[in-house]
Amino acid sequence: MNVLLALAFAMFATEGVAHHNMTATFDFNDRVSLTGTLTKVDWRNPHTYMTVEVKGANGAVETWLIEGPAPSFFRIRDFGKADFEGSIGKTVKVELSRARDKSRSGLIRTFELPTGKVISACPQNC
Amino acid sequence: MKNSGWVASLFAAAVCLAQGPVPAGNEAKPADEKAKAVSEAKAKQNARRFENSATIITFVDRYGKLTGRLGERALYDQTALSPDGKRIAVIKEDLPNESADLFILDVETGASTRLTTSAKTEFVMGPVWSPDSKRIAYTTIRSGQEGIYLRAANGEGPEEQVYKNPGAFLNLSDWSADGRFLAFAKSDLKGGNLYTLPLSGTEHNPAEVVHSELRMFEPRFSPDGRYLSYIVLDQANKAEVFVRPVDSAAGGGPWQISDGASSPAFWRRDGKALFYVARDQSVMSSEVSTSPAFTFKKPEVLYRQQSAVPDNIAYISADGDRFVVLPRPRGPQLQQITIFNREGQMVKKVGEPARYSPPAFSPDATRLLVTKMDLKTSQQDLWTIDIATGKSTQITKDTFPRISAIWSRDGRHVLYSSMRNGDFGIYRIPSDGTGSEEFLFQYTPGAGLVLSDVSPDGKSLICESGGVILTVPLTGSDAKARTAIETLREEFDDSTGRVSPDGRFLLFRSDEKQAERFEVYVRPFDPSTGKAGEQKWQISKDGAAAMLHWRNDGKEVFFRGLDLDSNDLRVMAAEVSTSPAFHTDAPKMLFKLPGPLSGTLGSVTSDGQQFVFAINVPAGKPDANTPTADSRHLP
Repeated sequence: MNVLLALAFAMFATEGVAHHNMTATFDFNDRVSLTGTLTKVDWRNPHTYMTVEVKGANGAVETWLIEGPAPSFFRIRDFGKADFEGSIGKTVKVELSRARDKSRSGLIRTFELPTGKVISACPQNC
Repeated sequence: MKNSGWVASLFAAAVCLAQGPVPAGNEAKPADEKAKAVSEAKAKQNARRFENSATIITFVDRYGKLTGRLGERALYDQTALSPDGKRIAVIKEDLPNESADLFILDVETGASTRLTTSAKTEFVMGPVWSPDSKRIAYTTIRSGQEGIYLRAANGEGPEEQVYKNPGAFLNLSDWSADGRFLAFAKSDLKGGNLYTLPLSGTEHNPAEVVHSELRMFEPRFSPDGRYLSYIVLDQANKAEVFVRPVDSAAGGGPWQISDGASSPAFWRRDGKALFYVARDQSVMSSEVSTSPAFTFKKPEVLYRQQSAVPDNIAYISADGDRFVVLPRPRGPQLQQITIFNREGQMVKKVGEPARYSPPAFSPDATRLLVTKMDLKTSQQDLWTIDIATGKSTQITKDTFPRISAIWSRDGRHVLYSSMRNGDFGIYRIPSDGTGSEEFLFQYTPGAGLVLSDVSPDGKSLICESGGVILTVPLTGSDAKARTAIETLREEFDDSTGRVSPDGRFLLFRSDEKQAERFEVYVRPFDPSTGKAGEQKWQISKDGAAAMLHWRNDGKEVFFRGLDLDSNDLRVMAAEVSTSPAFHTDAPKMLFKLPGPLSGTLGSVTSDGQQFVFAINVPAGKPDANTPTADSRHLP
């Protein structure tokens, strides 16, 4: 594979496999780290969605909608729907690339389950 | 379709990526036994991939003479010769670990030094040498964070991170001759940027050289550091070599050097020539000057390979005298289109050997649809071939990449998915070679989109994106207003939807039972709503690769079976009935052919009696019009 092919392949892997243009929706330079309670899991293609409730600076609870890779991404890394649904109501740590509209939503970069297991969604989501 | 070879390869690679590995398994087995079976299947798959793709680093001079081979047979990606020519940096894939790492090979002795050890699924890219050949810069991901790192090329000492990339797939491509800067590019659907990165001081902040709405790659410094050569991918995905000043205030440029490129540009050590690989894999040389201002002359062929199917040239030395080549494991090959009967006996050869994708029968089985590569330009176009006469008709004549081409139900059109400006859409074009392309449907910007069928009444498209099967009613005259119905959206990857002749059932693949191992299923389908029903019948038992097809009476389905132990193509069939209720018999193998060999959705005639494949054959000598090794002098 020549250099161009390798690069173009990498680019295509990012663009083509992703459901939409992630860089258009999420700002990879705007990182957010959350520690909160996982409250909901929507486990389906082409992306997974979860909600995490986080205590804000003033003590109020903020609800964050986080978007993750497809279920198959987790399946081939030996994480399943049960790992996430079993974590509902428990504390998780998430690092996100925040949505460009500055809403409380973002794209998962890393996700730490209550068991301490960390799943990296990079490079697909980085 | 016209398209450079590497872009086409990219699509093929992406399709493979989307399909992924196919480990075996059995849901009835205990967890540890199942895990063992998956592991064994992955090992077999890896062994197969290695056997089919591993190659050896080879050096040739510009007279075509083999000057040496280096290292072990492996899966090599990027290569970079050290400025002193004594070592080569290579990225080598580790299939079991799903990673890629950097190695330094001594050209004289073949001794190998491993510089990185990536975690599972992480990888190293873009090795570049320091001008004194003592250090290497590269990008890699560590715990989900991509960065640029430096390390001594002899492997001593720790690596040093000099830049954290907030995104991914940063394209590191050069180290300036004065040792003060690195050059890299970042590109996405919104365009590209070229940067320089200062290495002095403690803060390493990149400086943007230029932004473009087009994607850009591989910026490389002229030896005097005043100019950058780089690659631009135009909107039709055609790559060209450009040069521009590093300091935009200096004025002038950009200058387009190439007329079609398939590699970055390599500056000659004295800065007086630029080398690059043309689309036909010829090494080109352009005489240039960078002082007092940049000038260049029309590129000329420096070296042209003698093979009818040239090997990939991976790197050009700084003196233009040596080329790093990664030869094809099985040697140069063409494909002979060949038709078989249900017993696997050859019925007919169609046309002459060429570089073909898997062909597809027209609905009346009189013509074939195929993607053919022009060996001189590496461009790919859609063609139809009359089976009786062998006469070929060119259907597309532009550089846009196209995938998943299929016939319309009446055979009057060819439909396909194509990426334009980063977005996928479905298009159709008359199959007789007349008329122009018609845009049919635009999906979510940036999302991949593969076409798998047209409904029997011709009023809907069946597509897939991100593991979701979609139905697109071709309503109204405003193609941009058309929307997709989610026919089948689950937590599994569903793909390759094929509607039964009576329109009531959907044949498809899913990895429901085990991630990345696909089986063939049937569900009820309601053409009026585009929705799949809840019932589901499993057709295949031992895995299915592709080639899903209904016989035109709806009483038999076909698919390509998995074979993890060989490259053989296994043609499978199962008798089914759709009335009064759906029923399937156990699938059986009709025949198998030695591979590597691919099948496509149109590999089977409508009546299920004949099968067509593009059989690999050794490439002969180049034709009389193809020049042999060139011995032009350097400018």
